[in-house]
Amino acid sequence: MFRKILIANRGEIALRINRAAHELGVPTVAIFSEPDRTSLHVRHADEAFCVGPGPAARSYLNVANIISAALICGADAIHPGYGFLAENARFAQICIDHDLAFIGPPPATIASMGDKAEARRKMAEAGVPTTPGSEILRSLDDARAAARQIGYPVLLKATAGGGGKGMRVVDGEDDLPSAFATAQAEAEANFRDGRLYLERLVRKPRHIEVQVLGDRFGTIVHLGERDCSIQKPSHQKLIEEAPAPALSEPIREKLHATALAAARAVGYSNAGTLEFLVDGSEIYFMEMNTRIQVEHPITELIYGVDLVKEQIRIAAGEHLGFAQDDMSPHGYAIECRINAEDPANGFAPSAGTLVDVEFPGGPGVRVDTHIVAGSQIPPYYDSLLAKVVAVGRTRANAIARMERALSETRIEGVPTTIEICRDVLRSEAFRAGGVDVEFLPSRFIADRAVV
Amino acid sequence: MFEETVEHRLRPIAAAFAESDLVRIRVADDAAEIELRRAVPNARAVAPGSGGEQTNRTYDVITAEVVGVLHFQRPPVEEGYSLDGDRELAQIEALGIRNPVRSRGAGRVACIYVAEGQPVDYGQPLFAIDRS
Repeated sequence: MFRKILIANRGEIALRINRAAHELGVPTVAIFSEPDRTSLHVRHADEAFCVGPGPAARSYLNVANIISAALICGADAIHPGYGFLAENARFAQICIDHDLAFIGPPPATIASMGDKAEARRKMAEAGVPTTPGSEILRSLDDARAAARQIGYPVLLKATAGGGGKGMRVVDGEDDLPSAFATAQAEAEANFRDGRLYLERLVRKPRHIEVQVLGDRFGTIVHLGERDCSIQKPSHQKLIEEAPAPALSEPIREKLHATALAAARAVGYSNAGTLEFLVDGSEIYFMEMNTRIQVEHPITELIYGVDLVKEQIRIAAGEHLGFAQDDMSPHGYAIECRINAEDPANGFAPSAGTLVDVEFPGGPGVRVDTHIVAGSQIPPYYDSLLAKVVAVGRTRANAIARMERALSETRIEGVPTTIEICRDVLRSEAFRAGGVDVEFLPSRFIADRAVV
Repeated sequence: MFEETVEHRLRPIAAAFAESDLVRIRVADDAAEIELRRAVPNARAVAPGSGGEQTNRTYDVITAEVVGVLHFQRPPVEEGYSLDGDRELAQIEALGIRNPVRSRGAGRVACIYVAEGQPVDYGQPLFAIDRS
């Protein structure tokens, strides 16, 4: 096992990793930016280093200061969490070059899954279904020809992309030239890589992802699926649940088998997630996230596995302690993301001081958070304040528990997503299960606007 | 004993206080308790020579820009030294590279907050330079 782990992140995930390390008996080192000096993740760690001022580019993305801190304090591993440097293959390689274990998959795996066109090609080779699409487009003429072959509507995407940047829906050939130009410019500006490709647009899919876990000796298991279809208009997830409701067993099994085949095809090790679009009985590979996900607790609660501890164990060269047959889910779990955002104003993020904070407790409730009353929410980082997770024997049970938990939750000082989560939980469509990604943006936010 | 306490414990607290926008700070442990109050809301806002209420001295606190291990320039400066211009006072070694720490102009070395070979992190006070 490692001597000491540096946690290259902030907020709730830094605390989550700190807890896993401490339970394994491994001391921890936090990094922080100046505005995060008094943050809970700093207080819980055994040591802490300030690595820069507020803006992430100068602190949580400051590779030189992070590596230097790790070397000075004698850490032998770095856990990147999610976001920031978690899917940066060069950072992973730099860690390895400095004899620091990177708690995640090998750099080459991160690189190949980070390039979306390459990931699609690799998956198609492995027999994993992908949406019909093109190779990298060399020109607008290339795009025209590819779009005709695929059939409109198409989705124009940046191969280096993420977060909806460099992505355009194109309904017909007339719209293609301007969409091509703007997507290319956006991709250049955001990723310094303007390469684009085309995919057929799947209208109103469900977003279902499969958790996988592999050790360095070739053992790979899946830990079931998570339904992440409750998404904001920006395609960011708001509510996730596991297992996916209203999904036929053959499709569920197909998702699991496909995820395992895909993970094996790339020789995956550590924790990873394969995201799929589900359209009726069709499933399409969307992308693979080579890191721990925000919504990992719902899987932990129904499988009784500590994914972050497993990540650390695997990176330390240990064998996975269980096989696929040992793994079966028990019950249902739901996660609501409590963000410092104003749903009435396009989910605009907000910063400020929290004057009052109360979290729920009681049976079947887990809260992963870094905030307390008096916490300052800096403007520099993502707006996640807390993850409220509820587990129950049945889905109805889990929903009732989540409603109870949210009714106990109070955060004063910034607008939050608590109420919109409660509204979703109350809605008949959500209770019936199986809604698609357009549910929240179209029906739900539209409904609220009318009221 | 008292001098050592002032040197190693009080000065870093005072420096951090001076750098902050706080008007009052209280630090306590088993052995001692100290409370600092600011006469003006932010001493840094008082321009040199404008006649601040407390003092007409102006200090610049030189802080670490990188995370690394501090090495004094040879021969090392000592408190009370006068600097006739922009001088290299120390280096911070990070990933095998020695990053210079400079005085950023003339002045008197009023305080040295760090020791040879000490790990420092971003923003950590290293030297206070009296510019008056």
